[in-house]
Amino acid sequence: MGNLELIVEKHSERIHHGLEVLPNLRHGLPEGLGNKRWTAELILATYEMALTGDLPKNGLEYKTGNSGGGFDVLGWKNNGSAKVESDKIDLSIELNKRDDGKKITIPLPIYGGGMSFGSISLNFMLARARAAKRLNTFMSTGEGGYPDDIVPYRDHVITQVATGMFGVREETIQYAPIVEFKYAQGAKPGLGGHLLADKVTSEVAKMRESSMFTSLYSPFPFHSVYSVEDHKKHVDWIKTVNPRALVSVKVSTPTDVDMVAIGSYHAGANIIHIDGGYGGTGAAPEIAKKNIAMPVEYAIPKVHDYLMSEGVRDEIVLIASGGIRTADDIAKAIALGADGCVVATAEAIAVGCTHCGNCERGRGCQVGITTTDPELSRFIEPEWGETRIVNLFTAWSKRLRSILAGFGLENVRDLRGRRDLLVRYK
Amino acid sequence: MDLETPMPSKYDRFKIETKPAPHVYQIPNKFDVSARKVRLAAMLVHEAFEYKLNKEVVLSRPCIYGVFGGRFGGFKPLKHKCVGCMRCVQEYPHIMTVKHSDSYKRLGDSFWTPEAVFTILNEASTGKIPVKGMGYKGAFGGEGFDGIWTDMSEIVRPTRDGVYGREYISTSVDVGRKPTSVDFSKIDRASSTIEIPVPIIFDKLSAGNGDVRAAVGMAAEKLGTFYVSRERTPFDFGQESLIPIGNEEGIEDLVERPPAIVEYDAEKSDLFEKLASRLPSSIVIARLPLREDSGMIACKLAHEGVHGLHLYADYHGQDYSKEPQHISASLKEVHQQLVKGGLRDQVTLIASGGITLAEHVPKAIICGADLVGIDTTVLVALQAEFRGETRDRANCQLKPRKIDPEWGAQRLVNLFGVWHDQLIEILSAMGIRDVRRLRGDIGRSMMDAELRELSFKGIAWAT
Repeated sequence: MGNLELIVEKHSERIHHGLEVLPNLRHGLPEGLGNKRWTAELILATYEMALTGDLPKNGLEYKTGNSGGGFDVLGWKNNGSAKVESDKIDLSIELNKRDDGKKITIPLPIYGGGMSFGSISLNFMLARARAAKRLNTFMSTGEGGYPDDIVPYRDHVITQVATGMFGVREETIQYAPIVEFKYAQGAKPGLGGHLLADKVTSEVAKMRESSMFTSLYSPFPFHSVYSVEDHKKHVDWIKTVNPRALVSVKVSTPTDVDMVAIGSYHAGANIIHIDGGYGGTGAAPEIAKKNIAMPVEYAIPKVHDYLMSEGVRDEIVLIASGGIRTADDIAKAIALGADGCVVATAEAIAVGCTHCGNCERGRGCQVGITTTDPELSRFIEPEWGETRIVNLFTAWSKRLRSILAGFGLENVRDLRGRRDLLVRYK
Repeated sequence: MDLETPMPSKYDRFKIETKPAPHVYQIPNKFDVSARKVRLAAMLVHEAFEYKLNKEVVLSRPCIYGVFGGRFGGFKPLKHKCVGCMRCVQEYPHIMTVKHSDSYKRLGDSFWTPEAVFTILNEASTGKIPVKGMGYKGAFGGEGFDGIWTDMSEIVRPTRDGVYGREYISTSVDVGRKPTSVDFSKIDRASSTIEIPVPIIFDKLSAGNGDVRAAVGMAAEKLGTFYVSRERTPFDFGQESLIPIGNEEGIEDLVERPPAIVEYDAEKSDLFEKLASRLPSSIVIARLPLREDSGMIACKLAHEGVHGLHLYADYHGQDYSKEPQHISASLKEVHQQLVKGGLRDQVTLIASGGITLAEHVPKAIICGADLVGIDTTVLVALQAEFRGETRDRANCQLKPRKIDPEWGAQRLVNLFGVWHDQLIEILSAMGIRDVRRLRGDIGRSMMDAELRELSFKGIAWAT
């Protein structure tokens, strides 16, 4: 074995071991870890769930962060002991509520959000795809194209079509059971995508049909879409290329997000996916993350109520993302009116992300998640990553079942819009 | 015409030329990395055996940022290189500790967070917009500007690419009194307004040595904006950019060299008539502390004919009401009273106090200001020292250090460049081509308090 192999092996082992021992708090809570949204405890609890597939038993906080608002000031009404047996609870949701088109049901109200090849490593992408397959759910390609290595998982891969059209080809649309239009991203609403030059390696450039080590910008908005009618043409385009595909429309959360949602419904979308302002990104201006568009907690009820008032709520699936960190966040989002949630950052945390925010840098991520560096990428073996993500979602399922059991609900679909089950904390 | 010689281009698009102006005083390391030395030594011995003295493998470091790249590796980490990625802690939790350094945590005061101080220092130093990976890490909402989100448009406009140079987004604003209708008999008269290319001026600094004032004057001149000062700088540059604060005794001096814009303390004196008659070419602005009665006073002054109002809160953005409120709330009240009185379009509103970060500029404009004045931010950019609370305008504990005015001017130009670019980000996300359209456009914002009540309506309080 050459030295490089030994070095990669050494650090992989050490990192993986660290992820196992840190949650037991033998060395205390690392002081520099975490922030208000992803607290140190929440990060360690996620490591623990990704390791064991179970909820933490040592008192680590795994339900909320410490941001002082949104999901973090919502809790559950005291519901006493379980009223339904856990294993009788159905967590599945449908992703197509229209009369026509393929019916797709996922066994959990969760699927993986868009993280592009280039912003993340191929190994992490593979781990996500493998996990999606094992869980019988989906993950989205993000806007960086469709590497050949994930073709074997195509029944569980959503092809994203975003404004830069990077890697969008006829066959990648034809592969997909679901095609996702990304109109906007919560972390940089109205600003398009940005992949910094350092991460545009030859593989990334080839996939995106661009030049190496040149920053790539996705424009905003789609320059072919300035109205709902234009948007319908987009939907029609996809349905022509792949008549079996469901269409998801990913938008951010402006004041008129309810109007955007109804417009998407009338254009023929199966899924309206709202991505709140506190969502994740591989690189975005700091000013955009904090200040533009509303958090998803406020957007969900607005959209849900409006779709109800328009009488179309049961014909379109409402998916929420942008700051969904825990099983409790998912359940709260559903109680506020969503059908299910998309997560991405939590999957990254499961494989060792510390939410340090250095993803945009040259070599990118120190543990091989948001990097295109060939050495660092190898810290995440796809099988290992798959197991960690599956474990996390398994632990979350247990928590979701426990919430539903407490309220006597046998089906997660019955939780939708049940704001009466929530309480607010000052 | 000589067809061989190309005509020089007269096209001059507004652009702020930034260039690096590194810190001259050392800034604290954000992170403090340390190793338990005995355990580190034991680990090295252990790994030496494990890897059969393969030096390259044994000494390969758990850091991609070079923290352990010094001669003594983990025994003497290069703390300034640490970005807080925590990989060393992940790999060796029994040996390594990474935390925010005490000197970092001590930065600022009860209003200026260490993060905000670092943001300004880095903006002034690099002239580049802060771009980072991962999502937002801070508090959900909050008071004042933190409780406001700006709107965006999903599809309906083509202006986005403005930030990368394809379409122009104007950040110019007009200062001065605008006529309510066109008077053709006076059409030849020079405009009574002045256009400045960014909606930001430098407000009066409570503390500042000559070098700081010189840096501000030079920066204002380079940027085409203005700075407010009670005293003229003893320098040749920046005189055209000065907004003096006039008083009874100093009128003759002003008449001798009339400024483009002059302010006066409207609370202390009623100088408007005198200044307007003695300085007919100057724009006269009444300077007022924001209080519960500011709306009424603003209407009265606007009726009397002042050309603009400079409304200020304290340096922490709290107004001077009996029950202080944030400048965002007081500004909205003044703006709305002027609108109700049919006076808003006649006067310019400048707001200052607590406008310390780039996002505060569009938010203050949404709340009703035409432009803003910055104050303590200038001193932070110039690496002034925090020696206590900075709230009180008369006793601000932000002490300037000795600086080279040229360096200081470049730091301020960088700061304006970065804020200008971030303003364009916000405007382009909304699909607005002109910052003037944002003024008082509350519909372009979303308020935490309002959204919380709407979205969480019907959710019971926990008992």
